[in-house]
Amino acid sequence: MNVLRAWMEERLGLRAVTLFLEKKEVPRHKHTFLYYTGSSILLFLGIQIVTGVLLAFYYQPTLAEANASVVRIMTEMPLGWLVRSVHSWSATFMIAIVLVHLLGIAFTKAYRKPREATWVTGVLLLGASLAFGFTGYLLPWDELSLAATKVGTNLPKALPVVGAWLTQVMRAGEDVTGDTLSRFFIFHVSVLPLAIMACLGIHLFLVQRHGMSIPLEEERKGVKAPALPFWPNFAFREAGVWLVLLGLLITIAVVASPGIGPQADLMAPAPEGIKPEWYFLFMFQTLKLFPARVLGLNGELVAVLIMMAGMAALLLLPFIDNRPFERKGKVITVLAWAGLAYAVGMSIWSLL
Amino acid sequence: MNGRMWVMAAAGIFLLGSLVASGVLAARVQEAPQASVKSATATAPGQETPVALRPARERMAVHVLLGWVWLSIAVLLGLLRLRVREADRIFRMGLNRAAEKTPKGQGTDG
Repeated sequence: MNVLRAWMEERLGLRAVTLFLEKKEVPRHKHTFLYYTGSSILLFLGIQIVTGVLLAFYYQPTLAEANASVVRIMTEMPLGWLVRSVHSWSATFMIAIVLVHLLGIAFTKAYRKPREATWVTGVLLLGASLAFGFTGYLLPWDELSLAATKVGTNLPKALPVVGAWLTQVMRAGEDVTGDTLSRFFIFHVSVLPLAIMACLGIHLFLVQRHGMSIPLEEERKGVKAPALPFWPNFAFREAGVWLVLLGLLITIAVVASPGIGPQADLMAPAPEGIKPEWYFLFMFQTLKLFPARVLGLNGELVAVLIMMAGMAALLLLPFIDNRPFERKGKVITVLAWAGLAYAVGMSIWSLL
Repeated sequence: MNGRMWVMAAAGIFLLGSLVASGVLAARVQEAPQASVKSATATAPGQETPVALRPARERMAVHVLLGWVWLSIAVLLGLLRLRVREADRIFRMGLNRAAEKTPKGQGTDG
């Protein structure tokens, strides 16, 4: 065993990594639970990759076979329904934890100097996760997913100059067809994973480079926050959180596995009760409520522009709120709470 | 035996009991003739294919597996708790720093 360890060490130099982990410290305060969210996202991303590869062995991204292949996965493959259910639920868990992670950082102002780039890569990771959800939703190729994708890909059309082109790029044509399915599949299994890996690599490097941030209220106490060694004290705690999350995921996947609707018909009218995934519900409801014309402008265009401005503000938050870390930043806190209340309220309204 | 031990023993007996019971049920299901998967999943056009309609044998196996998963998680959490306590004690006593400072070859078992 020692010979093997020495052989590995000589070639990989892993001792530097273990030394780093032994020296790494995690601050202890009442917001320490937020530190668990980052690693939990990695857990669910890992589950997504493993289950995604398993599903890709049997899934066929063609107009004739997409829906049938998902039905086969669910009914004929041994435990195929469970793999699909775990894939679907771990996406939900991952996005929920990404949102908690992001809000936690926004509320504790951990995006301020020198962590601006960490925040930007984090928001890009959120965008990639949502894109995963959007592209994955079409893959079962049932009535609901087709209708929701038609609505979703129609949104950029409202934009001047680039709108029609963007919609065409997303759909691989004028309308949602089998080509759109192929394009979404390629994005889902190759473009987005590559993008997420690149962003994640930079994000993790920056997290290690700057260390874990301590919330402002803890810094203001003037006493150095007590810290815990990452290895093994924090890592074992993290392993406990992973185990509980894993148990919850498997349980929910077993008791509430998703079904699949009838194969999509390109000529059929949109079915009633179209709803996107839960994380797009607030946007969906906003668009539904927006008037057709606002100040003489196309209402949809105004809604899309407002949403884009919101996304840009989120991405550039560290540059908008670039005050020193010592400043409280009450306006940002109020805005974050207001944004959260709006998103939750609109999502609930959409479900009623 | 204190209260915590009683709770742990009761939880263990409950988990093991449910595993044994589900195993017995699973064996019975295996003995019964299985309905074909295709007929169980056939749906009328325009209807959603529900996941619940899968072979009873597989359903039972999954529930048994779920019981095992939670039992394993409970055991692993117990072990992790012991390791965390030990690591925290070593950290509080500063033994981890002492080990770092001790140069190689100067250990007590030298």
